[in-house]
Amino acid sequence: MSALWLLPLAIGLPLVLAALSALPVVRARSLTLAIFAPLPALAAALFAPRGEAMVLPDLVLGVTLTLSDAGALFLGGASLLWLIAGLYSRLHMKGKDGAGNFALFWNLCLAGNMGVFLASDAVTFYVAFALVSLMAFPLVIHDRSEKALHAGVVYIVLAVLGEAALLGGLLLASGAAGGSTEMAALTDAIWLSSDRPLILALLIIGFGIKAGVVPLHIWLPVAHPAAPVPASAVLSGAIVKAGIFGLLAFLPLGSGLAVSGGVLVVLGFTGAFGAAVYGLTQRDPKAVLAYSTVSQMGLVLAAIGTGLAASLPLEGLAVGVAIYALHHALAKGALFLGVGAMNTVSGGAARRLLIALGLIALSVAGLPLTGGALAKLALKAPMGALHEGLITASALTTALLLTHFLHLMQPREEGHEPSPSLRSILVMMLGLAAITLPWLVFSQSGLATGYAWQAGNLMNAVWPLALAGLVALAWRRTGLSAPAGPQGDLLAIVEAFGRLANPAGRSIGRLFTPLRRHSPRPGAPVWRNRVGALIDKTEAALHRAPALTLLLIALACAVVLLV
Amino acid sequence: MSTTTLIPVLLLLAPFLPALLSAALPGRARVRNTINISFAVLKLAIVAFALAGVEAGVEYEWRIFFVPGLELILRLDALALLFVTLSAVLWLATTLYAIAYLKGTPHQARFFFFFNLCVVAATGIAMSGSLISFFLFYELLTLATWPLVVHTASAKAMKAGRTYLAYTLAGSAALLGGIIWLESGSGPVEFANGAVLTGFGTLSQSLIFILLIGGLGTKAALIPLHAWLPAAMAAPAPVSAMLHAVAVVKAGAFGIVRVIYDVYGIETVAALGLGMPLPVLASATILYGSLQALRQSDLKKRLAYSTVSQVSYIILGASLAGPFAVIGGLVHLVHQGLMKITLFFAAGVLAERAGVSAIDQMDGIGRRMPVTLAAFTIAALGMIGVPPVAGFISKWHLAIGGYQSGANWVIAVLIASSLLNAAYFLPLLYRAWLKPACDALPDREALAANRTWLLILPGAFTAAAALGAGLFAGLDMSPLGWATLIAERITTR
Repeated sequence: MSALWLLPLAIGLPLVLAALSALPVVRARSLTLAIFAPLPALAAALFAPRGEAMVLPDLVLGVTLTLSDAGALFLGGASLLWLIAGLYSRLHMKGKDGAGNFALFWNLCLAGNMGVFLASDAVTFYVAFALVSLMAFPLVIHDRSEKALHAGVVYIVLAVLGEAALLGGLLLASGAAGGSTEMAALTDAIWLSSDRPLILALLIIGFGIKAGVVPLHIWLPVAHPAAPVPASAVLSGAIVKAGIFGLLAFLPLGSGLAVSGGVLVVLGFTGAFGAAVYGLTQRDPKAVLAYSTVSQMGLVLAAIGTGLAASLPLEGLAVGVAIYALHHALAKGALFLGVGAMNTVSGGAARRLLIALGLIALSVAGLPLTGGALAKLALKAPMGALHEGLITASALTTALLLTHFLHLMQPREEGHEPSPSLRSILVMMLGLAAITLPWLVFSQSGLATGYAWQAGNLMNAVWPLALAGLVALAWRRTGLSAPAGPQGDLLAIVEAFGRLANPAGRSIGRLFTPLRRHSPRPGAPVWRNRVGALIDKTEAALHRAPALTLLLIALACAVVLLV
Repeated sequence: MSTTTLIPVLLLLAPFLPALLSAALPGRARVRNTINISFAVLKLAIVAFALAGVEAGVEYEWRIFFVPGLELILRLDALALLFVTLSAVLWLATTLYAIAYLKGTPHQARFFFFFNLCVVAATGIAMSGSLISFFLFYELLTLATWPLVVHTASAKAMKAGRTYLAYTLAGSAALLGGIIWLESGSGPVEFANGAVLTGFGTLSQSLIFILLIGGLGTKAALIPLHAWLPAAMAAPAPVSAMLHAVAVVKAGAFGIVRVIYDVYGIETVAALGLGMPLPVLASATILYGSLQALRQSDLKKRLAYSTVSQVSYIILGASLAGPFAVIGGLVHLVHQGLMKITLFFAAGVLAERAGVSAIDQMDGIGRRMPVTLAAFTIAALGMIGVPPVAGFISKWHLAIGGYQSGANWVIAVLIASSLLNAAYFLPLLYRAWLKPACDALPDREALAANRTWLLILPGAFTAAAALGAGLFAGLDMSPLGWATLIAERITTR
């Protein structure tokens, strides 16, 4: 049996575990079993042969799985995060209500997430993408609090819109490719298609919603804090990457599409700086981390936009993005788990955890010789001077935002057991992986390890951090505090408009209520009542009318007589 | 009689005998149930045999003169068998469901007589080898379903029955007019050969086509001829399930497929300039049905309008030229059947066991009736087009088919329909699973104490089938595999 079988197993094992959890015997232990679910994916990332296709013609419209170089990095980072977050959720969820449900959707979501990185035909990709998108919903609303349900509605509305846009884009691309579903054929067909601007727009919207491209990012800062800690970790660390990977896989990079590329670059950098600055107004540490994710993904989107605009394929771009995604998955996952772990420790253990979180945060900001610094170098290397400079400068805002995060994570002096909490150990393991693993894969980007030691690169990494330290100190001195902003920034505006259009409505899910009513609703805008009345009238006319059917009979008779 | 002639006859007798026996044995519920179930299982076995035969290229055919000069032709080609298989599978599921649903109510013998007669008609429609045989069974279906629609004999049901008859009989008249006109010029039309249209001018050809499609479109609930379908909701749940998934609306859609491919031929339809109006009308029906569904506050009504919308997928697929579209349309005949029957089974269970019929009574029902609502959820997601449930497979093929026939707007229609489906199904699932249960619901212990599994399991089975049909669509014997086989045979003829 060759290692190629690991590819279907990576998706299959979580699915089988999910299906088996219908049995009460399995269901009682499903949280423990879920720990093993990401192992085949991790093994696949390490041992499966690259570029070989695994074809399963009987499933859906013919499933083809291939592990690409970039895909292996995405898969490896994500599966490691899922593994450690799975261990964490075993500790976090044990004995709580709905642990069985949590494990069920955890497994389904995991299967979809792994599938996205392995698919090499568009239908399999879409199936996996839909699975990870929709099954994340039960994870977001797991607590059933009002906040979680609101976040869930925001999430699902955007996810469904994203699915629709993505499906439209893929269908147009597949149509242009003569009905083929092979992803490479689709990418070529997009480039040649006369509908190219439309397809690109649909794909960027569809993937952008998942990846948090501004202004479609509004679900992230709402959904990430609402979900249980391990779910936030995988949402922010692994699931967001599905959107990034999709863009990388489908966009015809290196074919000189200056407009779409330019748009993506502008949106990317807007998110990179805007989200970091806005994140400073947040009081919930998980919301701060969510904004940090939007900001980090902004950099990646800008890099992909650069690749799209470039007239030749940028060497090392995909791998650079993948290394960046790998580091971010592990580091951001560790920070999210850290938020939860901090609640279970106190005293010295809490201080040690805070130091670990500080180191991880520094890695995200690109402290020289950490994994984060290497990831940044790999991302920057293929890009031009301006974009490189902007990415370098973004370390300043990142550092400020994460300082704010650490400030919110005040360790408690007493209360919990003095022994080191298992959860803190998981956080530290994940953090260690984030800081070290990029060293092992750095050479795949085509850069020598010595590149990280060059004086210029070290300087570029240090000055934003030093500046951020000074700004943070100065800010503390002034004693001012940042204004508090609503979670989900633009979402507040969208929802305000929603309330204007639908004053009696309670949530986005109920937006269609007035249309369902037959009688005019007081308070609803006049046009809506008019439209409703018109539809009613049409339908009533049709119901009354065997008139119409009589017409048909008359027609039939007339016709027969004519002959 | 050789096997090739015997099989079609047996397929008709399998539901016809239990119809007679049900009528002959009123009051002997246990015997009647056993007979009904055994014959349904027997029919499945015959279908399995025929599937293997037809795939290998055997042609099953039986002819008889039922009136001098008029030949009744039963012919099992691949297309016929698609519909026969669907009806045989869902017949068994619905029989089990109906037995549990009607337990202890009056007039069961009458019910099962007409119910089985409906299956005879549906099987006959599927196997008809000529236009006139088709019409014969089509009318049998009209008449056999009426007593089922008005089964409860309430004032509402009688009114629904009148609407139903007014529409379907008018439709039949148009269809008959079309058939007579057509056959007056071309002689008896056999589906295997198609009609000879050389004797007609293009205007006559178009008018005949419009008459045929208008007549069939009444049953298929094409707008503006759909109004009977939501009204027919007064029928008992097993009838609604059968009506929406297999019998009536499907008969219309199936007839339209036959007329386009086996009477006119898709090239002729295109040459007459009718290649675009029909897909446009189907698309309008898809969107209008969804919009209406969104506005309903009664669960069964919402599902009914959803049927109006979904059945037009089949017509859309059949009327767009190109192999992908045909495959998408044909496979949706099966997929829609599996998903919609699940939804109606669930709606019936909700009404029967928890007294829930309006959507705002569904709050918190998921936790109380998890199996039923899980089945409902799978089917609803399938309707939206969430992969890997079967609906996605149909949608993908239809959209690519639309693209290939130069109608890119079909993609927009399908996406819009998906979004509308999401808008009317997702809030419902949200209510059922996430809202706190209201006090009117029976409590969990009471429900758990008297689980009628015969009522619950058919829906679970059809939901699993809908999931399986999507997940294993690549198999040769999946609905998709079979639809592909039909499309190949149509295009290579």
